[in-house]
Amino acid sequence: MRLLGSCKISENGVFVNNNLEEYYSACQTDWKRELYTKLDFEYPKFHKMDPLAKMAFLSFKLLEPKVDLGSLEDDSIGMLFANSSSSHTTDEKFKKSYYEKSPSPSLFVYTLPNILTGELAILNKWYGENIFFIQENFNPEFYLEQINFYFSKGLNICLCGWVESGPKGEECFLFVVENKDGDVTHDELYKCYKQKK
Amino acid sequence: MSDLKEKLKAQIIKQLNLEDMNPEDIKDDAPLFGDGLGLDSIDALEFIVLLEQHYDIKIADPSEGKEVFQSVNSLAAYIEKNS
Amino acid sequence: MKNIFLSYGALITPLGNTVDANFEAMKRGVCGIKNVGDSGFNKEKWPLGKINSIEGENRYTELLNRLCEALLAEHPATLFQAQSTLLIVSSTKADINLLPDDTFASTRSILHEKLKLKNDALIISNACISGVLAINTAADYINSGKYKTAIVIGIDALSDFIVYGFQSLFALSSQVSKPFDKNRQGISIGEAAGAIIVSSEKLNDTSFYVNYLGGSSSNDANHISGPSRTGEGLYRSVTKTLNRSNVSPENIDFISAHGTGTAYNDEMESIAFDRLQLNDTPLNSFKGYFGHTLGAAGIIELIMTMSMMENNLMLKSMGFDTLGLSKELNVLTHNCEKAINIALKTASGFGGGNASVLIKKAT
Repeated sequence: MRLLGSCKISENGVFVNNNLEEYYSACQTDWKRELYTKLDFEYPKFHKMDPLAKMAFLSFKLLEPKVDLGSLEDDSIGMLFANSSSSHTTDEKFKKSYYEKSPSPSLFVYTLPNILTGELAILNKWYGENIFFIQENFNPEFYLEQINFYFSKGLNICLCGWVESGPKGEECFLFVVENKDGDVTHDELYKCYKQKK
Repeated sequence: MSDLKEKLKAQIIKQLNLEDMNPEDIKDDAPLFGDGLGLDSIDALEFIVLLEQHYDIKIADPSEGKEVFQSVNSLAAYIEKNS
Repeated sequence: MKNIFLSYGALITPLGNTVDANFEAMKRGVCGIKNVGDSGFNKEKWPLGKINSIEGENRYTELLNRLCEALLAEHPATLFQAQSTLLIVSSTKADINLLPDDTFASTRSILHEKLKLKNDALIISNACISGVLAINTAADYINSGKYKTAIVIGIDALSDFIVYGFQSLFALSSQVSKPFDKNRQGISIGEAAGAIIVSSEKLNDTSFYVNYLGGSSSNDANHISGPSRTGEGLYRSVTKTLNRSNVSPENIDFISAHGTGTAYNDEMESIAFDRLQLNDTPLNSFKGYFGHTLGAAGIIELIMTMSMMENNLMLKSMGFDTLGLSKELNVLTHNCEKAINIALKTASGFGGGNASVLIKKAT
């Protein structure tokens, strides 16, 4: 398999294919919102999304120009995502909504970590395979295993992500691999994931 | 009535997370669902929550809400009628 | 694909604590969904699939512990302790009562402690298709040869969080859920835990086995909580599953559908099955028996499908009287003695996910 590109975002910075790209002003209070405005891509649904979907959306839009996905069949792209805290941030918000007032439907629909794959599918009109795992840490070996399962079933491309929003903080690492000759190593993926300013 | 409409617009923006919008961006007679603001079925449910929390009006069945939530005008008229 | 076998692990639902107990209850037309007082946000009465023998707030922990005990009672401990065994869990909310702490951590620790696992358990949390995804993932691992056995657990417990959530979506039915029926009003939430053993060979000569033929998932790319009006994702998933299994639609003897009892989901399924020309295939939803058990649903409903295959008896779709769909489907109104050779299990869920799996009676 070949690594087509990767993107790592957090309040610590934006890295696309391991290059630091400046997007944040010195005193950003909402780094995701700031990144959205700098992207120059209008998508009103963005504001309704939970932090996980927002980060997946932002990372994808940053990575998209560097990776050519346009010519593929709409269900030859598989999505493989994981995190350790599920939908923790929104779970807390939803619980707060019914403790304080009444249960909020727009919060409840985001109390599942896989909703972000739905948002990406809607954005891109992708009908392919999708799955969300809860793992303790980002584990490149696990991803490579799952990607090989997808490829053995005839998929050409995998969009993979580790998207976290919870007590450990917020971060999103997205990468795209293609079923073509090449080598993607654990170390390489881990290095891309660990990018920091 | 116009105070109510302005208040409603601010509440809609807050309840539905329409962060990019200002009250003056929402016209009184603009369709809220489908075309126009492009709200969806989950947003419709948040309207039901909004009516209950801010105006003490209970809508038991989401399908009742269809007529009511057409526009800020219809929403304001419904609130005036049921307060 | 290698020969892959599925067999019973364990089952705990509002209808009973074994596969046989559940089958017997369903055969007699027992419904495990009952009105539960003081449920819902305004402390009303909602029909829920509650396991009455579980008391108190820590329902998830209790349920998971009971499942582990049932597994150890029915299978040799060495099965779980082997280096060649992988455990996979499907759950949508795990122990949500642990908030603000990690809601999934206790699942790992309880399973590792009770079953003495050698490998880290995998957890899938992908809304209501998690169970079917977990079976497909297990099959992938067995097929790759990395493991010889996978224990696939599906589990979700009742909680205010879940009930209030579905209530806020106006998705709860005020009467016991009636999937596919013209008078259906929505979902009855249930709780359950079940386990299926996925293995590269038969573990003994006495258990009932089916073969895993193939499976897949597909996204609707339409809406995060409402199903596609054209049933696109479900249509594509079943098509892929049939292709991967080398099976034609007319060879399917039975469909265990998702059938939640909401207006939109059931209608979507009828459109997808119609597009697949599966209108005449006998079909049911198990959710009328014990409710929508979310992360457990795919697993426990597959177990009951296997049980029907073992007993050569198709169970009716509980709660169904008259078709309330735009397309004709053969929803069973009565139990029907008939051999089932090949069965299809489907699931659909929030996030636009759809998944399916095809199984066949093993020789």
